[in-house]
Amino acid sequence: MNTPGTASVVDVRGVSKRYANVQALVDVDFEVAPGEVRALLGKNGAGKSTLIRMLSGAELPDRGEVVLDGVPLGTAGVEGARRLGVRTVYQELSLVGSMTIAENMFMGRWLRSARGVDYRAMAEQTAAALRRLDIDLDPGTPVSELGIADQQMVEIARSLRDDLKVLILDEPTSSLAAGEVHRVLDTVNQIASEGVAVIYVSHRLDEIRRVAATASVMRDGRLVETAPVTELSTQDVVRMMLGTAAQEVSRVARPPRADLPVTVCVRGLAVEPKLQSVDLDLRAGEVLGLAGILGSGRTELLQAVAGVVAPSGGSVVIDGEDIAGRGVRVAIGKGIGLTPENRKEDGIFPLLGIDENMVVSDWKAVGRLGVLSPRAISSAAVSLMRRLSVKAASSHVEIATLSGGNQQKVVLARWLHARSRVLLLDEPTRGVDVEAKAQLYALVRELAATGCSVVFVSSELEELPAVCDRVLVLRGGRLVQEITAPDVATDALLAAAMSDD
Amino acid sequence: MDTSLSAPAKATARRRLGPQQLNIIGLIAAIVILAILLSILAPHFGSLRNAYSILQSAADVGIIAWAGTLVIVAGEIDISVGPAVAFWSVMLAEMAGPWKLGLPLALVLTLVGGGLVGAFAGWLRARFGVPSFVVTLGLWLALRGQAEFMTNALPVPIRDNAFLDFIGGALPGGFPVSALVMLVLFVVYLFIARRTSFGRSVYAVGGNARAAMLSGIKVARVRILVFLGTGLLAAVVGIITAGRLTGGNATAADGLEFDVIAAIVVGGTSLSGGRGSMLGTLLGVIFIALIGNGLVLMGVNPFFQHVVSGIVIVGAVLINLLLSRRASPDSV
Repeated sequence: MNTPGTASVVDVRGVSKRYANVQALVDVDFEVAPGEVRALLGKNGAGKSTLIRMLSGAELPDRGEVVLDGVPLGTAGVEGARRLGVRTVYQELSLVGSMTIAENMFMGRWLRSARGVDYRAMAEQTAAALRRLDIDLDPGTPVSELGIADQQMVEIARSLRDDLKVLILDEPTSSLAAGEVHRVLDTVNQIASEGVAVIYVSHRLDEIRRVAATASVMRDGRLVETAPVTELSTQDVVRMMLGTAAQEVSRVARPPRADLPVTVCVRGLAVEPKLQSVDLDLRAGEVLGLAGILGSGRTELLQAVAGVVAPSGGSVVIDGEDIAGRGVRVAIGKGIGLTPENRKEDGIFPLLGIDENMVVSDWKAVGRLGVLSPRAISSAAVSLMRRLSVKAASSHVEIATLSGGNQQKVVLARWLHARSRVLLLDEPTRGVDVEAKAQLYALVRELAATGCSVVFVSSELEELPAVCDRVLVLRGGRLVQEITAPDVATDALLAAAMSDD
Repeated sequence: MDTSLSAPAKATARRRLGPQQLNIIGLIAAIVILAILLSILAPHFGSLRNAYSILQSAADVGIIAWAGTLVIVAGEIDISVGPAVAFWSVMLAEMAGPWKLGLPLALVLTLVGGGLVGAFAGWLRARFGVPSFVVTLGLWLALRGQAEFMTNALPVPIRDNAFLDFIGGALPGGFPVSALVMLVLFVVYLFIARRTSFGRSVYAVGGNARAAMLSGIKVARVRILVFLGTGLLAAVVGIITAGRLTGGNATAADGLEFDVIAAIVVGGTSLSGGRGSMLGTLLGVIFIALIGNGLVLMGVNPFFQHVVSGIVIVGAVLINLLLSRRASPDSV
C-alpha cells in the first residue's frame, strides 16, 4: 500500500490491548507512509480511539509494538510520542478563546525576550505558520472571534510547530457546517504534501474521497481491511464496518399505521448553518428515529423543536399553533419533553434526589399554591421509579450516585411526570449499559403504544431498527431519506448517513 | 429481592452520614466545646443576660442569613446587605421625621423599598448576566454612600415610638425581640427552602442552571426573587436597628455582610451553589455569635478579635471540606 521505497513513519506491529472486560484491539498491523493521508473508519467501539491512543503514547499495548519513524515508542508515553513528531487534534478544541491566535499557538511555551513575553516574535512565527497552510488570519485576532472552522485550523496549525511527522485528526469536521469543510480539507492536503503522515478519522465518505488515498476499516478491535479509496464503494465500507453479524435481534416488524393523527408538524425548519429546511410530521403513537453522523444537524433539529434554540426559519406547529422560537416553556406547555444529549451537563441536578429530579418539570402536580406535599412527591417518584424500573435504595438518593442508565430513566421520567406527549430523546442510550439499553427500548415502545410520539436520536445505528417505526436520515443538515419498518436496517441507514452522492 | 438489599442498605447508611450531616454534627460539637471553654475562661459567659446579648447580636446576622442562604444556594452572592441595613435605617428615620410621612407609612415604604432594591439587583443579574458580586458591590458602595451623603454620617433621631421601642428592645424578662423575629423568620425560611416549589427551584437553579431552564423552571424569576429576599430582610434589620438606636445611622451594620456570608459558609452551604441548609446556617450564626461574644468577654484586643475571627472561620470551612471529602472519597 505504501509507495515503494518509502519507509513507513507509522508502523504498528501486532498490537493487542485488553481493558477490564473488552478486547479493544486484536493483533492490529497498521502502517502509514510519509505524505500519505489515511482515512480510519469504524463504528463506535471498533477500536479507532484505542489505536489513536496507542500512537499518541497515551496507552501501552499488551502485546506488539508501536514504531514511529523507525524508533520503537516503548514506554516513552505521550511526551515520547510528541518528541517523535506525533500530534493529535481531538474533536474538542483546546484553545483559550480570550487569547490571540499567536498566544494560543505558543500556549504555555510563550517566547520570551529580555523584556518579558515576546509578542512580536510570536506574531511573526505564527504568521509564517499560517501562511504555510494558506490560512489568511491575523495572528493578533482573539480566538473567540473566529468561526469554528478557523479555530479548527488554528488547532491544526499549532500542531505543525517543531518537527511534525504524524498528524492524527479525530473527526475534524464534525462540528463544521457543510460549506466550511473544504477549507479544512485543503489544509490537510497541504500538510500531507509536505511529507507529513495524516491519519484522518471521519465518517463522511465524501470528505474521505477528497482527502485520503487509502482507507483502513476497523471492526471489533481488528483492522478489517486497508484499500485505496477509489476501490471502495459505500456499500463495501458499510459491509466492512458492520460485518456479517450485523443482523439485529428483533426489528420492529409491523409497518407504522398511516391513520394516526399528526401531533407535531414541522415545515421548512432551519437553524443556520447546521440545519436546512426540514419538513417532518410526527404522529401519535410512533417512534421516529433520526439517523445521522456527528454534526449532521440532529441535535439542532431536536433543540429547535423543543424551543431551546430559536430557528432561523420555518414553523413547528402543534395543536394548530406555531411554537417555533417561542422558548422552552411554551414547548413544554404544549407537551414537548427533551432529554438532552449531554446528560451530565444539561440533564441532571446532581445534588438533588431522584424524586426532585423527576418532579422538577411540574411542581404543580405535587403541591398546591407553591407549597409542596412531600407525600405527593414521594408517591409520584416511587410510582415512576417502579414504572421505569429505576434501581436505587430510595427515592431520596442523590441522582449523581446512580448509573448512567438509571440517570437516563430519571430524566425521561421527568417528562412522564409532566405528562408530555411528544418525547424528544437525544442519544438516550449513550453511556448506558446493555441491560438498561434493552429496558429503554422496551420503555420507548411502551410509551408509543400509549399514544406518545417519540423521536429517538442515536449515532448507534444498530439500535434504530429495534425501536423505530420509521427512520429519517439526516446528512449535512438535510433530511435525505426515509425508511419505514419493517425495512429499517442498519446497513441501509449507515450507507445513507455516510453516503456521498 | 432480599439478597440484593444489602448493597443499597449500605449505601443509605453511608448517606445518612453524608457531608451535610457530618457538617451539622461537627458544628454542634464545635458549639458545645466552645460554650464549655468559654464558661470556664469567661466568668460571665453563663449568665442569662449574656445569653440574651448573644441572641441579640446573632439576630442581625441571622435574619439576613436566612435569605442569604438561598442567594448562595442559587449560586449567587449578595455583599450589599450591611450598607442596605444602614441605608434603610436612615430612610426610615428620614421618612418618619423630616419628610412627615408618618411612621406606619414609613415602615411600609422601607420594606417595599428594600425588596425593590434587592429585586433590581436580581434583575440586573438575571436579565443582563451582570455577575451578582459586581451588582451588589455597586450597591454596597452606593447605599452606604447615599446614606452618608443624606446625613453627613450623623445619626438621624426618630421621636419616641412604642413600636420601635418594642422592636429594638426586649420582651419582659429580657428576651430580645429581634431574636424572636429571627426565630420566626427562620421557621418561615425553613419552610420556603424545603417545602415550596420556589425553594426547591432555587436548589435546582444553583445545582444546574441549564438543566433547570430545560426543565421549564423560570430561572430569571428565581434569581430575582432570591435577591428580593435579602433586600427585604436587610430592610427588616434596618427597622430593628433604627429601633435599637432610636434613629437612623449611616454607619450602622459595618461589615455585617461578611458575618452573614461567614455564617452561611461555616454552616456548610457551598459557594458554588446547589448545596446548603437552613439548619446549617442557624448553627453557623450561633457559632459566629459565640466567637464574637467570647472574644469580647475574654477582653481580647478589639483589633485582634478580627484576626481570631478570620482564622476560626477559614479553619472551620477547611475542616468542613476535609470531612466531606472523607465522607465521599469518590467525588472530586
